[in-house]
Amino acid sequence: MSSPRPHTLSGKVVADAMRRGINRLGRDSTISSAISILIKYKIGGLLVTDDDQNPVGVVSKTNLIGAYYAALPLDSPLEYIMTSPPLFCGHGDPLEHALEQMKKHQIYRIYVQDPEGSVIGALAYPDIVGMLYEFCSRCPKSIFRKDSISEDVERSRIGDCMTTNIKDVCSSSLMHEVLEELSMHHIGAILVTDESGQGVGVISKTDLILAYNHGIPLDTPATEVMSAPVRSCSKEDMLEEAIRQMIFSDVHRLFVRDSDAGEITGVFSLTDAALNRSGSCQACVASRIQIAP
Amino acid sequence: MKIVARDIMDTGFHTLAPETPISEAVNTFKQASQKEGRRLFGMMVLNDDGDLVGMLSMYDILLFMRPKHVHIWGKMDDIDLTGIIDQGLDKARSIRVGDIMSQEIVTIGPDTHKFLILDIMIKQHIRRLPVVEDGKILGIVYISDLFYDILDRFTEAGDDK
Repeated sequence: MSSPRPHTLSGKVVADAMRRGINRLGRDSTISSAISILIKYKIGGLLVTDDDQNPVGVVSKTNLIGAYYAALPLDSPLEYIMTSPPLFCGHGDPLEHALEQMKKHQIYRIYVQDPEGSVIGALAYPDIVGMLYEFCSRCPKSIFRKDSISEDVERSRIGDCMTTNIKDVCSSSLMHEVLEELSMHHIGAILVTDESGQGVGVISKTDLILAYNHGIPLDTPATEVMSAPVRSCSKEDMLEEAIRQMIFSDVHRLFVRDSDAGEITGVFSLTDAALNRSGSCQACVASRIQIAP
Repeated sequence: MKIVARDIMDTGFHTLAPETPISEAVNTFKQASQKEGRRLFGMMVLNDDGDLVGMLSMYDILLFMRPKHVHIWGKMDDIDLTGIIDQGLDKARSIRVGDIMSQEIVTIGPDTHKFLILDIMIKQHIRRLPVVEDGKILGIVYISDLFYDILDRFTEAGDDK
């Protein structure tokens, strides 16, 4: 399925954005070893293989959080929790097609096969955004170039692309409540708020798998696991500014404030950025500017 | 002549616990290197029962410290690097040895021949191999010890001339 409008990623293929390194573990490997790989390599999922190295499933942070909630021992084999079978795309497929597949199946990572069927890489939202950022920052109309700011180009802001459906838990909530909220709403992180409704921290899937690996009981207060302070941006920021902040701080999302210190009214993630498919101006699409590869 | 693992292994090895914070592990690396008079690049990780549960190397720690999008940074000429390392260190504060150690461990027995050890190290890109017998850790063979054990004969031969 192709997008109805042209965008910065139009014409790009999967091979342009995929990562060639793949992390894989055998189906008998433990949950704990999968957590170590995800934390160390800063990835959201890994490929599970059988004894003949054939891909048989995927273990993502979501699977691991499910195991945490179910109180599975950390030495349980990955085949207990993996999602099977893995989803694949071809390395020459249009990026647009792969994005649609990821969106349709609500997955954050798709594995890439060559024409012979060998797994040669993985495509994840952060990699697509990384490519988008690189492309936009090299553009003559980049917001990071002083001489381009004054140009009359219409640019979209975070407020135009953010998700307004943010979920929060109060600071007295326990871990099992956090897990239930995340699971119910299929979200990657939850805001922790104090009595006055102010965001005091964030609990992401990464925080949760670390808590699982550390043996933290589910009746532990959320505040003991959350990351603080809340990383945020303004609704008025341009996309590249927020993407830059996320890429260079290694975070997946920023909460969005109405003004610099105002109320949190949304969240903008690398997934939102990837699905938006363009930087803030789309000048490259409108004026057919050619960016050197 | 040294032939098998028990002849080459270091029995004065240093270990870490899975619960140890990474910051403390880095200090242990420094102190152990000082004590041994050589740089140690990896250590065994033992649980409370003394079982070998993983290996932590400097490479594991550096993998964690490596920014995810470092491949983009290399192409950018407008990156302000101030504070980037501090950000990485800040994230590492909540990380323990057990969170990033390698858990798929290859071990050898005390009677493993040194050329088989060499073969394992080359084929599996391993620089240190724990020596285990009946579940008990006897020592560790470092690639540097194997290197000098095999290659010292070059210099010995030179000395004879």
